[in-house]
This record gives sequence, structure tokens and C-alpha cells, in this order.
Amino acid sequence: MNHFEFKGSLKTVLLAGILIGVLCLGWTWMIDDHNHTRFWSNFLHNSVFFTGISFTAAFFIAVCITAYAGWHTIFKRVWEAISAFLMPGILLMAIIGLGVYFHWHHLYHWSDTAILDPSNTADFDKVLYGKSSFLNKNWYLGGTIIIVGLWIFFANKLRLLSVLEDNFEDSHFSTHRTMRKYAAIFLPIAGFSSAAIIWQWVMSVDSHWYSTLFAWYATASWFVSMIALTILILIYLKGKGYFHQVKRDHIHDLGKFLFAFSVFWTYLWFSQFMLIWYGNVGEETIYFKTRYDHYPVLFFANIFINFAIPFLVLMRNDAKYKFGSVGIVAIIVLLGHWMDFFLMLKPGIYETAMHAAPAGEAMGEHGHEVAHAAEHVSNFVSGFTMPGLLELGTFLGFLAFFLFVFFTFLSKAPLTPKNDPYLDESLHHHV
Amino acid sequence: MSKENKIIYGIYGDEEVLLSAVKEARERHYDIQDVYSPFPVHGLDPLLGLAESRLHIAGFVFGAIGTLTAFLGMTWIFTKDWPIIFGGKPYWSVPAFIPITFELTVLFASIGMVVSFYVVSGLGPGVKSKLLDRRLTDDKFCISFENSENSDYEEFFRSTGAEEVGVA
Amino acid sequence: MSVHVSPIREPLVTGHKTYHQITEDLVSPTEKMPNLSWVIGFIISLTLLTFGLFCIFWTIWVGIGTWDLNRTIGWGWDITNFVWWIGIGHAGTLISAILLLFRQKWRTGVNRAAEAMTIFAVICAAIFPGIHVGRAWVVFYFFPYPNTRGPIWPNFNSPLLWDVFAISTYFTVSLLFWYTGLVPDFATVRDRAKGLRNKIYNTLSFGWKGSAKHWQRWESLSLVLAGLATPLVLSVHTIVSFDFATSVIPGWHTTIFPPYFVAGAIFSGFAMVLTLMLVTRKVLNLEDYITIEHIESMNKVILLTGTIVGIAYLTELFIAWYSQYPYEQFAFFNRAVGPYWWSYFGMMFCNVITPQLFWKKSWRRNITLTFFLSILINIGMWFERFVIIATTLARDYLPSSWSYYSPTWVEIGIFVGTIGIFFTLYLLFTRVAPVVAIAEIKAILKSSGDQYVGKNATHHDEH
Repeated sequence: MNHFEFKGSLKTVLLAGILIGVLCLGWTWMIDDHNHTRFWSNFLHNSVFFTGISFTAAFFIAVCITAYAGWHTIFKRVWEAISAFLMPGILLMAIIGLGVYFHWHHLYHWSDTAILDPSNTADFDKVLYGKSSFLNKNWYLGGTIIIVGLWIFFANKLRLLSVLEDNFEDSHFSTHRTMRKYAAIFLPIAGFSSAAIIWQWVMSVDSHWYSTLFAWYATASWFVSMIALTILILIYLKGKGYFHQVKRDHIHDLGKFLFAFSVFWTYLWFSQFMLIWYGNVGEETIYFKTRYDHYPVLFFANIFINFAIPFLVLMRNDAKYKFGSVGIVAIIVLLGHWMDFFLMLKPGIYETAMHAAPAGEAMGEHGHEVAHAAEHVSNFVSGFTMPGLLELGTFLGFLAFFLFVFFTFLSKAPLTPKNDPYLDESLHHHV
Repeated sequence: MSKENKIIYGIYGDEEVLLSAVKEARERHYDIQDVYSPFPVHGLDPLLGLAESRLHIAGFVFGAIGTLTAFLGMTWIFTKDWPIIFGGKPYWSVPAFIPITFELTVLFASIGMVVSFYVVSGLGPGVKSKLLDRRLTDDKFCISFENSENSDYEEFFRSTGAEEVGVA
Repeated sequence: MSVHVSPIREPLVTGHKTYHQITEDLVSPTEKMPNLSWVIGFIISLTLLTFGLFCIFWTIWVGIGTWDLNRTIGWGWDITNFVWWIGIGHAGTLISAILLLFRQKWRTGVNRAAEAMTIFAVICAAIFPGIHVGRAWVVFYFFPYPNTRGPIWPNFNSPLLWDVFAISTYFTVSLLFWYTGLVPDFATVRDRAKGLRNKIYNTLSFGWKGSAKHWQRWESLSLVLAGLATPLVLSVHTIVSFDFATSVIPGWHTTIFPPYFVAGAIFSGFAMVLTLMLVTRKVLNLEDYITIEHIESMNKVILLTGTIVGIAYLTELFIAWYSQYPYEQFAFFNRAVGPYWWSYFGMMFCNVITPQLFWKKSWRRNITLTFFLSILINIGMWFERFVIIATTLARDYLPSSWSYYSPTWVEIGIFVGTIGIFFTLYLLFTRVAPVVAIAEIKAILKSSGDQYVGKNATHHDEH
């Protein structure tokens, strides 16, 4: 079974998942305030999360090629197919960008034109005015299209060359050598561009706040999610009888990556948190103060789920061999990093929603509720202070959509590549 | 030394020959006393049936001791023994304790493991080991059996490609 | 047992070596009398070392006022040198530990020397915090220990104390890791030696005899130590960066410092490894073990880390503007075009621009160019620390106390002296221990020797 066939019950299940997502988004739209903040923030949250996962897969393919890695070759098609989600990803993010353009939503405080007018002394925001040559609708939409477009270009190139290699036997491995060139060029481009776009997409929801580490932190979160998803997909496909050459040694290596990069993520989390906590500069601490005071459960759960669980469970070597333990940790960590992005995005968006509707009048009935919650910070606002059922449903929808795209692309090429110079090493991979 | 405690050994010139000899010896249910090599031979441990090393467990235990020493130590010092406010932070400022806690965890685990390794292996400065052959740290490999009375051993060494056979 | 190696991999041991030849090649430098170039190098290093010790003595005798530090610029060459040396001390553990975990086989050619270098660099680094406190004779106050001064403890909340813990832990663990790797090789040296040499190396080798169970434990120990050393090596420069970043000084207080310092440390460490190894392989005839492949791999790491550092520089610069915080903006404006513009330019030029030459394959494999660039990067990384430390301090919140700083002969002398210490120790090391890990080279021979893989292979796998 070297060819994945995408059909039958899997397709039905995924389509049903997508339907759930659409229904949840629709439901959210109905019960939302007049800016549809909850709808748009959920849309942004999941789009960013899955586009980022897809980006890190493309990035990691490039890393592996450049680093002469050979162990992953037999399942590299999985990463290639994950990176295919960049194409829907660019559309999703462009919708958000168009939203900024045409004021469909009010996710970003900087997109509010009133605060950028120096003559409007009551609302004028000097800081955001100063940032407006970067934080503006043109950069947002243009940056998204150019940067994700670049990612798509390189991801496609690597995928096409990889498929081309299957039918092209050559003792000099010229196809692989061409891939190496593209991979090497992609690395610095990915490094710069991912940071630039994360500042726009994610960091600027807290539009006054800034942290130089933030982009690396968010990228690490994406990366861990990508590894977790890869593990789950491989376990699933093995269960279906595909990838019989993928052995526990390969899962073991993925488990090590899951472990190591969970620790790395924690390192970045701690560095950012500790330096801001220690420096005690009000403009910076507000970010963590908001999260610590109003989102205590998520704040601590974030560390517990994304650090303590993978660290403690996967510390033992044999735990990394067992599909059960690695798989369960992968599920937990995937949800954990989805929640991490929730925690990066929602508090800032919620804050912006407050500004958009002074005293809640402009937001209608729900606006009162939101504004009321702001006064009594301990109040629980489903979808903002905690992911509600609609958020989970939307997540499932996006996940199903992601997997649908993934399986479609996976079925388009043989699962095991041919003529890859590292294929033999990967088949006989033994730790 | 009585004759029963003597050792018979065969010297091999290549690790792949050694591995097949070890396999053969295991099939014949010989009791291998030890195998010597100038470098770690990949795939030898499972053939010899060596149990997995438990050093990492020692490492974990020592590391945990280090964690507790550092964290509880600083907690006690800064909340009970001599509480001082630094930079407006609470007495018990957990984030500020993390770096030292981490360092001592690593320090205890490393020292503990390395010392355990030498103690368990019986190695250390001044230890004089009886060497079967000086070339075993250069380019030769060796299998040794206890009790040279057994004449099968000589035949075994010859048939598995040993270059030399010796008794010590 | 069949060995599965990708046909695209280049051999890492050339010259169709047998196990015995490997022993011969790698042990013989410790058995021969040193040649003239070694003696000349040693005399020069020893002279620099002596001068450095004199300058340290002078500092302690006359007082710290003999340095040109002033009220505004309280950290100058001392801390710049400290951070520089600590950074150089990162490559050893990186090569040994991280590359071991990532199963990069080319590490075996250079790990031993790089680890030695780590230890010597940390020794050089540790001198500076010791003397810059002024009263070097009470430097033991750094450490928490039972004392008669009442229950007085060092401040565990201070990043400077974290540094004490980080560096002493790093030194200890690196030493253990290095020595454990050396034990089997000392046994090899011992088994070729006679008389007193044999006795000395028997003590050094701890009675190693290469038993299967010992090898198994040794490998397990190496792996776990590598697992511990990897976060450790990240933590050390992270904590050094905390020295700066926990403050509220614009230009210092920035969250990217931890990973950016680590990347910079790896960058400078690899540059120093290259500088040393290019000379060592020539003098000790190790071209078959430290091949062009090794050099190319290291140059790739240089290119990678140089680019990461470049991304970090630009991130800092961009976010300083983005922050819309005037002091932050000024700090970076001052770095680039203030009185120390030349050091910022030197940093950018040496660290970001010149490594980009390594995009070209033939230049990555050019030894002369590599040597030249590795020196430039060493200089550039020194500038980076100088930029961060002196430039930032020279323009603080109070314009009336703005000042300029240049070092006195004593400060320069101490820096030169640490270079002398470093090279003296390194030169001694090349005489007493195998510079390349013998056992580890033997272990990869069948998968990386040029008689087995690559285009000159003579043995072909029948499986």
C-alpha cells in the first residue's frame, strides 16, 4: 500500500467535521456582538494556528535537507502534504486582511482610523500613530500575501522536486542537489518573514505591547504542534496499514523532537516571562498581568500542558517508543498549543473590543455583557476568557478542513519516495 | 590462582568477525566472561544479552535531589532564614529561583552519574586492571571465557576466526 | 552487519585508515618531542600569559582605578572579554552534546579539541568577574557557604549570582564530559607506553580495559550527559544575557537576548574552533581526520548562526522603532551612529555580512578564506559584546554624565594575557592527550571511512 486512497468513511467524517466547524462559526456569528468579535477572533485564531503548522512543516523539510538528515525520508510526504495547507492558509489570512481593509471586523486596535488622526485630540493615540507605517491595512494584507506567497513558492518547489525525483533515477542525485539549493535559500527567508508576519498577525492584537522574543516564541509553538500532528497522522496511517516501514525508531525520533521542542518552547516562554517580570516596566508587564489576573486557569494550564506533561511523560526513553504514550502526549500538546494561541490572541482582542464599544452601548445587548465583564474582571465570558464549546467546534472544523486538504495531497503521490539519496538510511533507521 | 579460575581468550581482528563469534558462542550456550574492544561495537549489547544500563535512573534521582536542594534551600533562606525584599519582588519569587534550580539539577545529576559510573564499573585513579593484551585498546577484539579446562573453547576460537588464542 | 549509508554522504575519515593506523596517527603526537613551531608558539603564549598575570597583579595592587572605567561606563573591556570568552566556550559542548543528539557524525573529528577549548575558554572567562569586583581577595563571597558573618547569603535573586552558578556548573559538567571521553583514549596511550609514562597514563585512564559492559555504560553515560549538557549550554549564555536583560536599561532590556546570546555564542565558538583546528590539523598532520567536509560543515554552522544573529540584530533594531519608546529608539540610534559607530559597524560587517560569503560552496571549502573569516568573526563577536556593554552605558538617561571610554594598557594587557593562558593550555593539551577522539573515530570508520563510502570506496557492501 504505497498509495494512499482518500475515500469512504474518512472523507465522510472529515466533511462532517468541516460542517460542524461551519455550523459553529455560523452560530457564533448569530449570537455575536455587532462587530462579530467572537466570530472573527475564532477565525483568526484557527487560521493562524493551522497556517503556521503548515509553514513549520515546509520549514522543517528545508532544515532536514540542509542538515543532511536522512531518518525522516520514508515519511517526508507527510510533511509535504502538511505544507500544502499554506494554499488555503493564504486565503484564510487574506480574508482577515481584507477584513482589516474594509473594516469587517475590529480585531486590531491599530486599524481604528479615529485614533490616528492628530486633530482628534480626544482619541488620538501617539504610540499607534508612530507605528502606523508598519501597522496598517496595506502592510497587513500585502505582507500576508507576499510572505505566505513566498512560503507557498518554496513549499511547492520542494514538493514538486521531491515528486519529480521519484521518476528520475540519477546517480548524481541532481534533483536532490537542486532541492538543497532551494532549501538553503528558504531558511533565512523563513527566519525573517515568519517574524515579520507574526508581529502583524499575532503580536499586534496587543497593539501597544512589544517583545523582541515574541515571534520566535510563537514559531516554537507552531513547530511543536506540527510535530504532534505528524505523530498522530503517522500513528493513524500505520493503523490503517500504510507506512509499514515506519518503525518505532522513527516514532521515537519524533517523540524526541516533541520532547526537546516542548522544553525549548518552555525556555522561550520562561525567558520572555521572566525578563518582563523582572524588569517590571508597566508597559510590558501589562501583557502578563492581564493574562495572570483574568486568565489564571489558562495561564497555568499553558505551562502545565505544554511543559510538564511532555516533559514528565516523555522523559523516559521507552515512553518515546510506545505509540500509546507518544500519541496521547501529542494530542494533549496539540490542544495545549492551540490554547496557547488562544491566550496570545484573545486577551488583546477582548481589550480592543472594549475600546470599540465604550460602555458597551455600541455593541448592543451582548456589548453590555462584555463591558460588564470588563468592570468585574473575574467574570467569565465564554469564548473570550475561556474557549467555549463553539471554539472547540470551530477548532474541530478547521482541523477537519486541514486534514481534508492534507489527505487530498497525500493521495496525489506515492507515500514512500523513490530515488531519494537517504531512502536506504531511513528504511534501516535504528537508534 | 587455581587452574579453574584461569581465563582463555581469543583475539579477533575485526568487529564483524567478533559479532558473529559472539553469536555463535551464545548459540552454543557458552558463558562468556567478557568481551573487550577498542571502541563501542554497535549491536554487541543485544547479542551479549546485557541488561540496559540503569545509570540514567541514578541521573534522575541525583537530579531530583539537586532540584529540591536548590529550590527548597532558596525558599528557606529567603522566606525563613533571612527574608529580604529585592527590587520590589516578593520574598518567595519563584521565577528568580528557576535559573539556580536548573543549574543545580544539572550539576547534581552529572556529578552523581559520573561518580556512579566509575564506582559501579570499578574504575578510578590508581586502579590497576589486568590486561589480556595490549592491543585491545588499539585494533584487536577479544572474547574471554573462564576455566581453560574446557577444550571446546580452543576449537570454538579456531572455527570462529580468532587470530590468536591465549590463556591468562 | 550491513551499514546503510546514503550514497550522497562524503567520507569523514580519508586515507584508507585501518584501526591501527588511526591509533598510530592520533597517539603519536603525544609520544614525540615537540617540534620547533610548537616550542615557538608555547614561548609566545607563555610570555603573553606572564604579562597578563602581571597586569592582573597590577590591578589588584594599584586598585581597579588603574582601569579607565568611569561613573557612567562601569563595565568595559572586563565584562566584554568575559562574555566573549564564555561565548567561545560554547562550541565544545555544542559539538559534543547537541551534535551527538542529532547524530551528526562529523562531530567526531573535532569534538575532543573543541571540548578542551571550552574548558580553557571558561577558565579565561572566569578570571574577569573575579578581578573586576576590585577586591579579588574576598571573591569567595560569591558563593553561599556557612560563614561567621551571621546568616548572610548572597542574593539568589540576582542574575550575577545565577551567573556564578551557571558558569561553575558549566565548567564542572564540561570537564566531566570531556574527561569521561578521554578515559578510553588514555588507555590506548597507556598500552603503547612503557615505564613511568605507562604508570601516569594508567592513573589517567582509571584502569580502563574496554570491557563490553563498561562500553555500554560509557555510551549510556555519554548520551545522558549530552542530554543534560544541551539545556545547560543554552542556559549558560542565557543567564549571561540575563545579566543585561533583567535591567531596565534601553538596549539591554529586551526579551530576545537569551536565544540571541546563545546563537552568538555558538557562532563565536565555532569561529574559534575553526581557527584552532585549521592550525592543529596542519601542524599535527590530521588532514585525514579533520577533512574539508568537516570544515565545510562547520562553515555551514557559521553561516547559519551568523544569519540568526543577523536576524536578531535587525529584530532588535526594528522593535526599538516599533516600541515607540524614545529611550529605546535613542539607544539604537546611538549604537549605529553615536560615538562608537565604528564598533557597531565592525560587528555588522564581521558577523552578518562576511559570513554570507559562505553561501558559495567553493569558498566554504577554501581553507585560507575560512581561516581569515574565522578570525574576522572572532573580532566581530568581540565588537558585539563591546557594542552591547560600553556603547549602551556611554549614553544613559542623564546627558550630563555621558562619557567616552577607552581602555588603559592594563585592561588590554589582561585581555592579551587571557589569550596567552588559552593558548598555553591548548598547546599543553596537544602534547598530553589525543587531539581527536580515537575510539569515536574508530566507531564511525565503517560508516564514514573513505574505503567504505564515497567515490574511492574499495569495500562494497554485499547486502
